[in-house]
Amino acid sequence: MTNWVIKGLRTGVKSTRYPRAEETAAGCSPGLPAATRLPSDLAEMIVARCPTGALERSLEGVDVDLRRCVHCFRCTRGSNCTVDWSGGYDWAGFATERTGAFGPPFGRSLHILVVDTGDCGACLSEVKQLNNPYYNMHRLGFFLTPTPRHADVLLVVGALTEQMRLPLRKAYDAMPTPKRVVAAGACALSGGVFGRSFICSGGVGEFLPVDVEVPGNPPPPLAILHGLMVVAGRKPPASLYRRVENSSADEPR
Amino acid sequence: MPMPFVLAATLLTCGAGIVLSLVLDDSRIPALLGCLGAIASLLLLVLSGASLFTGTSFHETLWTIPQLGALTLSLDRLSALFLFISGLVLLPASVFASGNLFRYLGKYSLRTYCILYFALFATLVLIPISADALSFLMLWESMSILIYLLVNYEHEEKEHTRAGYIMLAIGEAGTIAVALAFITLARNGSLEFAAMKAAGIGLGEEARWSVFLLAFFGFGVKAGLVPVNFWLPQAYTSAPGSFVPVLAGATLNLGIYGIVRVNGYLLPALTPGPGLVALIIGSVTAILGILYATTQSDLKTLLAHSSIENAGIITAALGAGFVFVALKHYPLAAIAFAAALYQMLNHSIYKTLLFCATGTVDSHTGTRNIDRLGGLIKVMPLTAGFFLVGALSIAALPPFNGFDSEWLTLQTMLQSAELASTGIKIVFAICGAILALTAALSVTCFVKAFAMSFLGMSRSEAAAQAERAPRVATVPMGFLALLCFLLGIAPTYVIPILDGPIAPIAQAARAADALVPPFFAGNPHHNELPAAFVADFHAIGAQVGQSVMPARGLIVMHRGGAANPVVFAMSTFYTAVVLALMLLGTYVVFRLIISSSRAVDRRVVWDGGIRRLLPEMTYTGTGFSNPVRVIFEAVFRPTMVEDTSETVGKHFRAAIRRTRGENHVLDRLILDPISDAALQAANGFARMHHGFLNAYAVYGLAALLVALLVARFA
Repeated sequence: MTNWVIKGLRTGVKSTRYPRAEETAAGCSPGLPAATRLPSDLAEMIVARCPTGALERSLEGVDVDLRRCVHCFRCTRGSNCTVDWSGGYDWAGFATERTGAFGPPFGRSLHILVVDTGDCGACLSEVKQLNNPYYNMHRLGFFLTPTPRHADVLLVVGALTEQMRLPLRKAYDAMPTPKRVVAAGACALSGGVFGRSFICSGGVGEFLPVDVEVPGNPPPPLAILHGLMVVAGRKPPASLYRRVENSSADEPR
Repeated sequence: MPMPFVLAATLLTCGAGIVLSLVLDDSRIPALLGCLGAIASLLLLVLSGASLFTGTSFHETLWTIPQLGALTLSLDRLSALFLFISGLVLLPASVFASGNLFRYLGKYSLRTYCILYFALFATLVLIPISADALSFLMLWESMSILIYLLVNYEHEEKEHTRAGYIMLAIGEAGTIAVALAFITLARNGSLEFAAMKAAGIGLGEEARWSVFLLAFFGFGVKAGLVPVNFWLPQAYTSAPGSFVPVLAGATLNLGIYGIVRVNGYLLPALTPGPGLVALIIGSVTAILGILYATTQSDLKTLLAHSSIENAGIITAALGAGFVFVALKHYPLAAIAFAAALYQMLNHSIYKTLLFCATGTVDSHTGTRNIDRLGGLIKVMPLTAGFFLVGALSIAALPPFNGFDSEWLTLQTMLQSAELASTGIKIVFAICGAILALTAALSVTCFVKAFAMSFLGMSRSEAAAQAERAPRVATVPMGFLALLCFLLGIAPTYVIPILDGPIAPIAQAARAADALVPPFFAGNPHHNELPAAFVADFHAIGAQVGQSVMPARGLIVMHRGGAANPVVFAMSTFYTAVVLALMLLGTYVVFRLIISSSRAVDRRVVWDGGIRRLLPEMTYTGTGFSNPVRVIFEAVFRPTMVEDTSETVGKHFRAAIRRTRGENHVLDRLILDPISDAALQAANGFARMHHGFLNAYAVYGLAALLVALLVARFA
């Protein structure tokens, strides 16, 4: 009965040291492709391999739109030409220039409503990890809430299906201002492997004003945590586009 | 104007009403009823008010009937209080009836209604002032019959007829019990109350008990006490919406009047036993009443059960008063009687208000079922507001009137600490706990009654498209709501008035002395009180606002003795002022600081994201009260009848239907055994009737023999 105290003290803190330090545990992130300098013919070939159009041809190689990448690794499986692959998990970024993070009053107490708009289960499984002892998002002041009336952040996962449009709109309307929307996962950001179809829109952003986007398919828990830190204003946002340096093309297509 | 003339004018107005309704056309009757009813009520208020406030009284002997004695009328302060309450109820109820009656035009005879109404009005006036048993019983009997006729006004409905019969039967039983009590009391041959009171002093203990029990349960029929109240919910539900306010506001009080008059005034108890019986019966009545009220879904039946609860609280306080009188704690007795009469006054006002609102809802939506109503506040805002006032009052929330009297009642129960006997203290403690539970449940009950009928979504077309109540309905309700508020914030003015009627039954003790600090009563220097005592009151803030506030603020419950120098104090007036200031302050702060900087974005209510929120999906009254039903399952003891006929292939049941039946706990424990026994006895006697002429001849012969033998040897 009393053993657990001693056992707990002996075990020590097992939670991740993120965000104070880098997380280095193996398999904590699948990684994403990096922008790679390549000759034009090879770049052409690699871009054609990408099923979701995440890779884009640029003048000096291949640019990456992280919002579309589904970690299929097809771009790394070639005998002679591959893109560079980068690890890490600080992927979340602002969707548009206008939206901003929450100010200080919300920084350490953020209530989150999770809405599944057609998820396969992968993203939800990662969201679920956030509450386990390892990621333990309570320590950062993030709380899940079952009602939009208490929510500051709407965390949307899954491809936005036709049936979930109304519930999503109602949940967003029911949230008190100020409110922010975080879309997590390639499906929520761009439609993912489902793309744009008769039953599924090409991303939540077409329907709601999304503030922060978390790439990944599914995004690892640390990436979602980074997205929440970004929306709380406690971490700088990352860029959602990776471009070959010194490229003359400034604007992504 | 001398009082007999005012009385004669009141009765003449009633007579004029009867005569005019014989002459006038049916469509003119409602206006006639409203006008003459209001005039008669005002005259009644003048008559009783003069006696209640100034203490004047009159005593008139009308006729002497040979063998039976004189018919006398006498108006003292006790009668005046009941008459005044009747007047306060009948004034708005008459006006309300004039608007509500039009729904019967062409279906039932309004002329009959008007005649019965004014006849009942006259008996209601005369019963409290009849000063001998004979006229009292005659009037009581005519009241029973008139009420029966009015309850059964919509006589084409089978249920109403049945309810009327049950009421008539139990009412007659009550009258017989009361008559027996009077006969026991009239030992020296006179049926006048004054002579009976004198004769009662020498009565033995057994006779005292029998008079108490006969009168208590005989009058308890009208008051709605356990176990003789099973007629009440059915009768209240069947009575026309325009009449049920009178039933709850005026005739229920007459049952209380009988108990006070006979058991408190004519034959005060010498032992605490009768008082304890009244206390226990009152508490049981209260808790059963509110339990059944909470689970009702018919608004009118709910209010009827809640009337039973209130009658229980009144009786419990009366019982406490009887105990205190018997044990010679006269100031405490005065407090208990003040609490009882105050509760009765309040009940009459808020129950009339609630029944008027329910009648309005009924006539505008065609249903009283809470589960079919909802959202009425949008279509009938005034009615909803007044119902809310009534609900707050009856749920005993300040600053409305129910709070004052229930607080006093509960405090009275706590005062049993002064008594010497441990057994009596235990009874008081248990009854006090039951009354506290009752008060809590009544909040649940009226949250349900108000919220489920007036808030949320409309659960039927009729509720969504109801029209606004006309002024003839809202004005009486507004008058009653105002009374609820005034009686709630000014108990310090009401209690001294109640002292007049209480004085004869509490052996001249004054509740006001114990309840209201006299230094607000007039003398600013309060010389009559010791300085240390006044300082005690100042320490709890009794002098706050003495110079600025228009009303005497504080009710002080009890000063305590030297051994326990405790002061229980409460001020509903200050509470109301503080409440108003807080609401105003919040509004101002909101307007000034918050609202100016942020716009409010109004969207549809959060419904869990479903496509369409149907009224059927929202919380119903039945669902709201279900926890109470589950917790008190042992009392309700529901029976589940499974009647399913839809089967596939003779053994696979496609649908199961369960009808839930409930048998009232009193029916189960008392009424059903009695009726079963009577039926069995009748079956036994029926065996004698087997149709042979010879057998009947033998019965006749045997009876003759027995009679002869008795005549020979007895």
